[in-house]
Amino acid sequence: MPMIQLSNIERYYTTGLQKTWVLRQINLNINAGEFVTIMGPSGAGKSTLLNIIGMLDQPNNGEFLFLDEPVFQMKERHRNELHKQYMGFVFQAYHLIDDLTVYENIETPLLYRKIKKNERQSIIAELLDRFNMVAKKDLFPSQLSGGQQQIVGVARAIAAKPKLLLADEPTGNLHSTQGEVIMDLFKQLHAEGMTIIQVTHSEKYATYGSRIIFLEDGFVRNDERIGS
Amino acid sequence: MLTSLLKIAWRNIIRSKGFSFINIMGLAIGMASSMLIIMWIYSEVTYEDFHENKDRIYEAWNRASFSGKLQCWNTTPKILARTVEKDLPEVEQAVRVDWTSHFLFSVGDKRITEAGNIVDSNFLQVFTFPLLRGEPQTVLREHNSIVLTRSFSQTLFGNQDPVGQTVKIDNNQDFTVTGILAELPKNTRFEFDYLVPWSYKRSIGDDDSYWGNNSTRTYVELKPNASLASANEKMKVLKPRYQPEDSTWEMFLYPMGKWRLYSSFTDGQEDGGGRIAYVRWFGVIALFILLIACINFMNLSTARSERRAKEVGIRKVVGARKQGLISQFIGESILMSVIAGILALILVTLSLPGFNRLTDKTLQIDYSNPYFWMLFLGFVLFTGLLAGSYPAFFLSSFQPLKALKGVITNVNTLVTPRKMLVILQFTFGIILMICTIIVRQQINYAQQRETGYNKNNLIYHHFTGDIPKNYRLIKSELLSSGAASSVAITSAPITQSWSDGWGQEWEGKDPNDKTDFYRYNEEEDLGETVGLTFVQGRDFDLSQYPTDSTAMIINETALKVMKFDNPIGQIVKDNGEEWHIVGVIKDFILTSPYQPTSPMLIYGAKSWFYTLLIKLNHDRSTAENLKTAEGIFKKYNPEYPFDYQFVDEEYAQKFANEKRTGTLAGLFSALAILISCLGLFGLATYMAESRIKEIGIRKVLGASVVGLTSLLTKDFLKLVIVSFLLAAPLAWWAMHHWLQSYPYHTPIRWEVFVMTGLLSALIAVMTVGFQAIKAALTNPVGSIKNE
Repeated sequence: MPMIQLSNIERYYTTGLQKTWVLRQINLNINAGEFVTIMGPSGAGKSTLLNIIGMLDQPNNGEFLFLDEPVFQMKERHRNELHKQYMGFVFQAYHLIDDLTVYENIETPLLYRKIKKNERQSIIAELLDRFNMVAKKDLFPSQLSGGQQQIVGVARAIAAKPKLLLADEPTGNLHSTQGEVIMDLFKQLHAEGMTIIQVTHSEKYATYGSRIIFLEDGFVRNDERIGS
Repeated sequence: MLTSLLKIAWRNIIRSKGFSFINIMGLAIGMASSMLIIMWIYSEVTYEDFHENKDRIYEAWNRASFSGKLQCWNTTPKILARTVEKDLPEVEQAVRVDWTSHFLFSVGDKRITEAGNIVDSNFLQVFTFPLLRGEPQTVLREHNSIVLTRSFSQTLFGNQDPVGQTVKIDNNQDFTVTGILAELPKNTRFEFDYLVPWSYKRSIGDDDSYWGNNSTRTYVELKPNASLASANEKMKVLKPRYQPEDSTWEMFLYPMGKWRLYSSFTDGQEDGGGRIAYVRWFGVIALFILLIACINFMNLSTARSERRAKEVGIRKVVGARKQGLISQFIGESILMSVIAGILALILVTLSLPGFNRLTDKTLQIDYSNPYFWMLFLGFVLFTGLLAGSYPAFFLSSFQPLKALKGVITNVNTLVTPRKMLVILQFTFGIILMICTIIVRQQINYAQQRETGYNKNNLIYHHFTGDIPKNYRLIKSELLSSGAASSVAITSAPITQSWSDGWGQEWEGKDPNDKTDFYRYNEEEDLGETVGLTFVQGRDFDLSQYPTDSTAMIINETALKVMKFDNPIGQIVKDNGEEWHIVGVIKDFILTSPYQPTSPMLIYGAKSWFYTLLIKLNHDRSTAENLKTAEGIFKKYNPEYPFDYQFVDEEYAQKFANEKRTGTLAGLFSALAILISCLGLFGLATYMAESRIKEIGIRKVLGASVVGLTSLLTKDFLKLVIVSFLLAAPLAWWAMHHWLQSYPYHTPIRWEVFVMTGLLSALIAVMTVGFQAIKAALTNPVGSIKNE
């Protein structure tokens, strides 16, 4: 059973009388444990597809089964639960909360999952240790470099132990050494069994994954598995 | 979770200090104003609340028709109390309270005049004024017993044990102190420093059982579970039973809970008016001032929403639900309101003495009372919810994707709800501003009204001690010493009416006429002393015309009522005496400067006197005149202090109530406008910041500073204009109603509206203009580049 089954997903925007197509006839199955990279030129619909999978956006047509459950027929409350339980997000612009310290930013998803304080402390301590951020735990995002901020972003995304990690151009704002650090992290996570879907422009970073989906004008033009 | 939310709320407050300051100060000022008003309202609605039997205590009132109009009033015959006890099975007991007495107390060498009441000996059984010494049942039982308040007993006896001590009253009778009262609460109509039993009144020959003499107040305590309706049935027919000629004269019992706030009757029925109107208006003002402060909070929070939008987006992506975000934002506003509440409490504590002076109250905060803190907490929570609810729903409803991309905000244009809120603020501020001006105009209008006599250099002194015996000597010595240029002996001060009545007879009187005349007495020289204008005839002059002791002077209004073609020499019968008219005076204001003058009759020397009116010699200094006068009074009335009053000061008292209303309205309108401007300033700052790029581009394209400033100011000005258009008719309506309660009132002038309109526009432009000019002067290079 694939983790994600998309059939005939379509997404368009209407401006005035005109329809602008973003996604067309997308049929995709993604299994647990895959590391999928979505590539394509600007405006191809990469981020939209990622957001639909992440349940942040809804298509106009088509069906989306997540672990065999039809996502768009379920109640919003249920969908929110699913989203909360299974998914972690990493953004191009990091999107840390400016008023919270590194520690508190990583803690946020745990708070919304009602995890007890001592358990939170141990999870965060482990993550800080793993990402070498222990000394920076009381700093605010503005006191960190971009790379460090994104590391916090990744730590936050995986803190609640999601099954699926969604990353929208995670390295887009970073220079190459910082980017490689993040990609190495992803590779490790994948090796540990995490399902990852990332959007990227970088051919090099695409090779970190196990499958590349190429989008153009809203259609899937190519879908290939790569050996790693 | 909670600590994390508190942390972020606190950091938010710290990070944007300017906005937080405006928000919190606005809230604090608003809360402090509301708290003061709420305390005022509380003190009004808890009047007489402390009496144990408050639900069973009533005051006896009359309802009778005069000149076709049903009138209600609350003075009763002295015999009424014992009669209701006898005739009405519902009545537990009744108690009479005489007019306030000003007795002279002598203890050793001390001579002190103090205010107190002569009451029936069961007074303390009906009303709950706690005794520190003595028992309510017995303290006033003996004829020569007296009960003192603790402070007055300390004045008289120092730290000696007062109980059992003897004190002489009016150089006349000795009284033994039998009880000591705790200090009287302020929220009661009673105000006395001592109580003397009714038997004293009898012993000085001042008691009577005449049903036609309405001269005291009667309070009635009903039995538990007795029916008021059935008691009132019997009250209705009581007067005709004992005074058959008053066949339609009804009496009724009026409940204690209504004394303070209602007690207002039109055409014989309760009209729902009275002080309750002020309580309601003040309540509305308190709510609106709080609302204005909360609106600031709402507007500034939503205007800055883009700063919070990203956080909302992230939180939603990592798993927050809408409800959780709503409680987060409401929690933040509650934190703000807690800080503001603490500041407000400090402000209230600091401003309470001033507020008490303004309102003539003695409000105080009982910090040790847990109820106070519960109420305070409730008030803070209410404010936090009121201020935080709209921003919370607004902010938490953002779509996470849009919020993260930053496409939510549309801050350049004022969104409609925010516009409406600003309009609401300014409408209220402008209404209060207009009301303040009109209240002041009304006071000025009444103050400028011709009093009809000359108040300057005029003092009066009541008859005390030996004055009734020696007043002629005092008068002649005041004149010969040069302290006074003229002296008149009268029944009452020239600013008060002590007597009025109907039933006088004259030739050609319509038998149905029941006109009520003010009665005033003078011996002679009143005209010269106060400067009255005689339109016909002359003042009394006993040396030339000895028959002037039964002469009468009438005013012009009385002449109109009596319809004499030739009033001089006409006879008016009153109190079994025939009075012949010797003069007609121009109307002067005896009582209210807001009422048309009433018909007035001035009786000659065969009536009674209680007051000396003294025109001080204007060739000498007032201090010198008073010193001489004091010597003369001491000589002829040695036991009593020289206790005079200036007529002009007393006349000014007639405006005290309206002045208080005016000052309060002014204060609250200033606060409302201040808080609104604080919010407007915040909004303008934000608008200028968020339009900085647009301004830069316009400037590069050639816009002038003046043009840019007006561009930024225009939007706000429009809002103020709309507010004014809403406020003007509402204010007109409110003031029109208020002025209706004054028969003599100022017209509402259109200039007032023009003036307030311009003033509010000016205030708004000045508030916004500063930010606008600052933005317009910014170097465009910097602002365009920051993208």
